[in-house]
Amino acid sequence: MTTTLYLLRRVLQALAVVLIVTIVVFCLLHALPGGPARGVLGVSATPAQIAAFNQAQGLDQPLPVQYVRFLGRLLTGDLGTSYTLNEPVGQLIVERLPKTLVLTGISAVLGLVIAIPVGMWQAARRNGAVDYAATALAFVFYSTPAFFLGLVLIIVFSQQLPWLPSQAPGGNTLAEVFQDPAGLVLPVVTGALAMIAVFSRYMRASTLENLQEDYVRTARAGGASTSAILRRHVFRNSLTPVIAMLGYYLPVLFGGALVTEQLFNYPGMGLLFWNAAQSSDYPTLLGCVLVISIATVVGTLLADVAQSLIDPRVKASRA
Amino acid sequence: MSVLTTTDLGVAFRTESGTVDAVRGVSLRVEPGQTLALVGESGSGKSTVALAAMGLLSGNATASGSAVVDGTEVVGAAEPALRALRGSTVAMVFQEPATALDPLTRVGAQIAEVIRNHRQVSAAAAAAEAVDMLDRVGIPDPEQRARAFPFQLSGGQRQRVVIAMAIANSPKLLIADEPTTALDVTVQAEILELLRELAADTGTGVLLVTHNMGVVADFADRVAVMLQGEIVETGSVEDVLLRPEHEYTNRLLAAVPRLTVAAPAPAMSVASPPDGPGGRPDPAPVVDLRDVSVTFGRGARAVHALRGVDIAVHAGETVGLVGESGSGKSTAARVALGLIRPSAGSVHLFGTDLRRAQRRDRRSLRSGIGVVLQDPVASLDARMSVAECIAEPLAVHRRGMSGTDRRKRVDEVLDAVRLPRDLATRAPRELSGGQRQRVSLARALVLSPRLLVADEPTSALDVSVQETVLEVLRELQDDLGFACLFVSHDLAVVQQFAERVVVMRQGVVEEQGATGATLVHPTTDYTRRLLAAVPVPDPVVQRRRRAERLATLAAVTA
Amino acid sequence: MTAVQMVPEAPGAPVTVAATGWRLAVRRFRRNTLAVIGLAVIVVVVLFCFVGPLLYPTDQTHTQLSQANLGPSAAHLLGTDAVGHDVLGRLMYGGTVSLTVGIAAGVLATVVGTLWGSVAGYVGGWVDAAMMRVVDAGIAIPALFILLVISAITTPGVAGLIVILGLVSWLVPSRLIRAETLTLKNRDYVLTLRAIGGSHARAIGKHLLPNSVSTIVVAATFQVADAILLVAYVSYLGLGVQAPATDWGGMLSAGLTAAYSGRWWLIVPPGLAVILVVCAFNAVGDGLRDAFDVRGR
Repeated sequence: MTTTLYLLRRVLQALAVVLIVTIVVFCLLHALPGGPARGVLGVSATPAQIAAFNQAQGLDQPLPVQYVRFLGRLLTGDLGTSYTLNEPVGQLIVERLPKTLVLTGISAVLGLVIAIPVGMWQAARRNGAVDYAATALAFVFYSTPAFFLGLVLIIVFSQQLPWLPSQAPGGNTLAEVFQDPAGLVLPVVTGALAMIAVFSRYMRASTLENLQEDYVRTARAGGASTSAILRRHVFRNSLTPVIAMLGYYLPVLFGGALVTEQLFNYPGMGLLFWNAAQSSDYPTLLGCVLVISIATVVGTLLADVAQSLIDPRVKASRA
Repeated sequence: MSVLTTTDLGVAFRTESGTVDAVRGVSLRVEPGQTLALVGESGSGKSTVALAAMGLLSGNATASGSAVVDGTEVVGAAEPALRALRGSTVAMVFQEPATALDPLTRVGAQIAEVIRNHRQVSAAAAAAEAVDMLDRVGIPDPEQRARAFPFQLSGGQRQRVVIAMAIANSPKLLIADEPTTALDVTVQAEILELLRELAADTGTGVLLVTHNMGVVADFADRVAVMLQGEIVETGSVEDVLLRPEHEYTNRLLAAVPRLTVAAPAPAMSVASPPDGPGGRPDPAPVVDLRDVSVTFGRGARAVHALRGVDIAVHAGETVGLVGESGSGKSTAARVALGLIRPSAGSVHLFGTDLRRAQRRDRRSLRSGIGVVLQDPVASLDARMSVAECIAEPLAVHRRGMSGTDRRKRVDEVLDAVRLPRDLATRAPRELSGGQRQRVSLARALVLSPRLLVADEPTSALDVSVQETVLEVLRELQDDLGFACLFVSHDLAVVQQFAERVVVMRQGVVEEQGATGATLVHPTTDYTRRLLAAVPVPDPVVQRRRRAERLATLAAVTA
Repeated sequence: MTAVQMVPEAPGAPVTVAATGWRLAVRRFRRNTLAVIGLAVIVVVVLFCFVGPLLYPTDQTHTQLSQANLGPSAAHLLGTDAVGHDVLGRLMYGGTVSLTVGIAAGVLATVVGTLWGSVAGYVGGWVDAAMMRVVDAGIAIPALFILLVISAITTPGVAGLIVILGLVSWLVPSRLIRAETLTLKNRDYVLTLRAIGGSHARAIGKHLLPNSVSTIVVAATFQVADAILLVAYVSYLGLGVQAPATDWGGMLSAGLTAAYSGRWWLIVPPGLAVILVVCAFNAVGDGLRDAFDVRGR
């Protein structure tokens, strides 16, 4: 299968997934107490206002029709209006999303850069003291709730040892956020630690599996040293499944961002979502869910594309 | 000086269940320019000896004694010394070409790596040498192919790449561990030819590890026979294969199915369906594939596994279905079993067209079939006892049967396949490969089927075990009179076992007829080539056959 | 040609099998130190939470403001919280909720995931594709986001919480079980059964499911670990059980402001408890997976 055909199939699959997400969001919209009218008009709407709204919006129409109109609104970028902040949800998200992406992006890159070599090293020195120690640490870190980890980091590095600020930099634009990089350290580390724990385990398992493969024996029979084999052959083969897992880890990363942003007061989408939940700001809530889910689907798609670039067999098989 | 001398070599493995002595007191020599074949069945330790000579034993193995490769002691040697040897003085070719190469690196680069491991050569020069190597091992269009990934090559081509990697630095000793076991017989003949040529050209000594006596007769100068970790007999290939001294060697050679290559003028003419009971020709075959085609996938990527195939098996007869990989023989068997729906054509089972039959009728028709498949490990559900496995068809079709009756029937079939009755309570994991295949056979017979479909039932078994299983099968067929569709790639086995043979090639029936006639005096070129490529375990005869075969090939290309 | 391993002929000689005998699996598990420690930890914690209050009874429903915010002492081994509850007792009490909801939700998620995944894997074709797109969509929506939205709509009780958490978590096990089903349905013994006329029901009931047990058990263990962690998150975000009932996450949430002013006994015990238990379940899951030789995750 050629690259374009493979990409086309993956994109179509991704679109199907996004469609299902919109259906889920639509159902949630209608599950709200008071229905979507309440969602738009707010908590204090009177029954008369709700009735008028329902009729005007065609909410007495059958659900499938409403869904199509909902989709139509989405496609024009209309995600409703937040009633606590009185701005279009779309605009709020556009302001906040890049900051969340930057935070999670840096955490992810940092996490991978550390996790992958550590995992490989653990596999090469299996059952050694370092392996056990790293395994135990990994278990601890991915069993720790992010808010607890962040809390501990704040107490240690902000209160006991006044090295780093406990609040992330505020500000509306990305540039302002970067003016105080010290404030980013703790939030990024919180996100990265969990990621390192998870991905070092993946990489370790993948490398161990690959070390059993026949091609390793062939390379050894050709006179290559263990480090050369790891570098030239095992690394790339072990990396492929791990990259695939990256796609599935994205939602976890974003979920973690929710908690981290709230803890460190970082003005990203997570904090927006948290505040919206506190004030029952339904349009914002649902808009965020939709956008984050789409971000995840796009991320997974990119991970798959990356995988097909590394591994030429992916295109040839029926995934 | 010999290229390999082992003296009292021993290898012990530490496993979860204790220490196992895989190799004991093995002493052998390989001289330059000579091929020593190390023969044995599974568990004999032959592969372990090969790995020990390269210092490639796994971490839980300890070697004792001595193994000297071109003057350097390998047992107990330090890793850097071993690394210097591997790929330059001694090289190895492995059994499974499908997994021997790094799937993410181009083949040219993998050959170049071996070159640069031992010689100070620039990347460009190594790449050019790699292309030369590919040419040397007979890969057409080597510059293009050097940039290919392993999954884009066929099994035979991958094995050639592995050989290219092995000879890249002109080793003094080449170790080949079952180099052709995973390949089709025609490809096997080509690879053996290649190895022989390369060895002759460069005066390389070859240690050939194999279980196939035909390959030994074709290729080796000297033979050492191994049994349970020890060498029981050594000698020149003619001495060992034609005048064996040790009792085990005798048994081993006797168990090898031999292809009859020359026969008196056939008394039988074209095969006619055997007579049914009462002496009249039985018109309705038990299973009949008429003009069956099977296509997987769509459009340009469609795979035509079968194309307009006509195969019929009549009551009481055994039909052998032979062919190389990709011939469609397994697909045809699965169509007969109802596991694959044909894209075109019809399948008649016991006279009924399966397409027109109701589901309930189809189900009851199926009770007349017995199935034995290839993999002894996967053919029995490890979670069930042997008795439960065998009784499963009873549970499907004879629900009313009482527990006692069921047990009785299980005991009956266990007797029929010559297995002790107390095996019934054991778990499959406690059984050996041959025993499992016989349990499979027992399960196939429990409903007294009219048709037995066997897809490579003995291909995964040692040759002596295969002999027992085939004997049992033959006996049962004589006693019970079922028809048998026997799929195999092994022409010698089919010749012994089947009355009629169907030769398949790339989804089409090449020819079919009585085994005696078709396999000795074939009518098509393909079948002739196929037969010529099968090595026979007699070195004198095999030498002549090889010469004839090469002469034919040369005449064709000239 | 044949890619099958030649099986050595001597009966009783080591044979490569797909299923591991129970005895061998137990032996392998015992050799995994972290896993054994994990199992011991789980047993101890369960006893602590459920039997502990019998040995160390405390009042977890009435407030006693006179006793509020005391540090650890002989009377209150871990001090008291803002409304006077004994923290150690609250730890036990909260633990029963965390463990119950976590284990129940983990098991529910595994059951639903197994059903979904095995049907998708067995049926195949467009049904499989559709079912897996639904799973992909479910995975794409971060669990915490959905949970916050649901919390804005209703406040669930313990049972409701179990159901909601289970419904958010069944997606990952479904993928694992689907992969397992795909492998198993092409095993020779299943093909043989179908060829002689066996039904789909028999194939699934007698062969596929029993052979998937080890994968399911391993998946369930990891799901419980994830669920307990998720419960902590959920309660921290204010969605869990309501006061005076609590669980470890709730204790963390309630003690948050106090932590900054040095009252460490309000957050360190519940935090450590969560980490310890989730770690233990993960270690046991890891050990089980190695013992059964299961692929995946």
